[in-house]
Amino acid sequence: MAFAPLDPVLHNQLRLAVVSLLVGVESAEFTFILERTGATRGNLSVQLTKLKEAGYIVVKKGYRDNYPLTTCSLTPKGMKAFERYVEAIKDYLRP
Amino acid sequence: MDPQLTPDQSLRIIQDMVLQAKKSFHRMSFYFLLWGVLLTLAMVAQLITATFSPGAEGVGWVIASVVGAIASGVHGAREGRREQVETLADRVLMWMWIGFMITLFGTMAGAGIAGYSTPVGSIMLLTGLPTFTTGQMLRFRPLIIGGVLFWVLGIISFHVDPVWVGILNIAGMVFGYIVPGYMLKRQEDGVRTA
Repeated sequence: MAFAPLDPVLHNQLRLAVVSLLVGVESAEFTFILERTGATRGNLSVQLTKLKEAGYIVVKKGYRDNYPLTTCSLTPKGMKAFERYVEAIKDYLRP
Repeated sequence: MDPQLTPDQSLRIIQDMVLQAKKSFHRMSFYFLLWGVLLTLAMVAQLITATFSPGAEGVGWVIASVVGAIASGVHGAREGRREQVETLADRVLMWMWIGFMITLFGTMAGAGIAGYSTPVGSIMLLTGLPTFTTGQMLRFRPLIIGGVLFWVLGIISFHVDPVWVGILNIAGMVFGYIVPGYMLKRQEDGVRTA
């Protein structure tokens, strides 16, 4: 049986963690994602940019109390890709 | 080159992160403690004024509602600035409680203006709904029990004397709001420091 190819954008530890985190929330701040994934700032920024370029997330930059604030949320395209990825993973795990 | 993930690792990452997001409910205990104390005091005030100053029973409810609304608004705005994440459940809970407050205020104001006594039994039944639903959404049993308690006490209060209605209402506030609110606070503090 041929397995469906896994989405290369999501088939990465940190990017998959970010998208899985955003699936359960409306929006999340950069610092929240940083804490929950345990990633470094630099690596997280790079992976967020890749997800943004793929159209999977929206990154909003603004200010709160004069401090920069970055908020991320999943797009419908990102949600679809995540669902497809989970389905594909299930195929791989099926005995 | 990205390190290769096995399907098992992928699944574990997804499960871990979904669980992390699930733990991200906003803190709610403040509101249960605040409203529990305020409405208990309002009920005590109603019992006292009914004895010593009949006709002014509604004053305590109005003061409690105004103080509670202002304190909730200020606290909510402050917490909102601090929270790093918003879930759909947070939004549902917030709007359910705002809707409840409007209904509660409308019921009390409507009854007061029409010259009826405060419909405490109906208010208790009404209070059971958001309390029970919040308990189910947070999967927090003391609030679920609190919501059921409000419904039971609300039904009983239609069949007892006004003084007993007051006592039942105070019991509802203590065991439906204050005790679960305190237990929720302990749980939230534990989650936050974990």
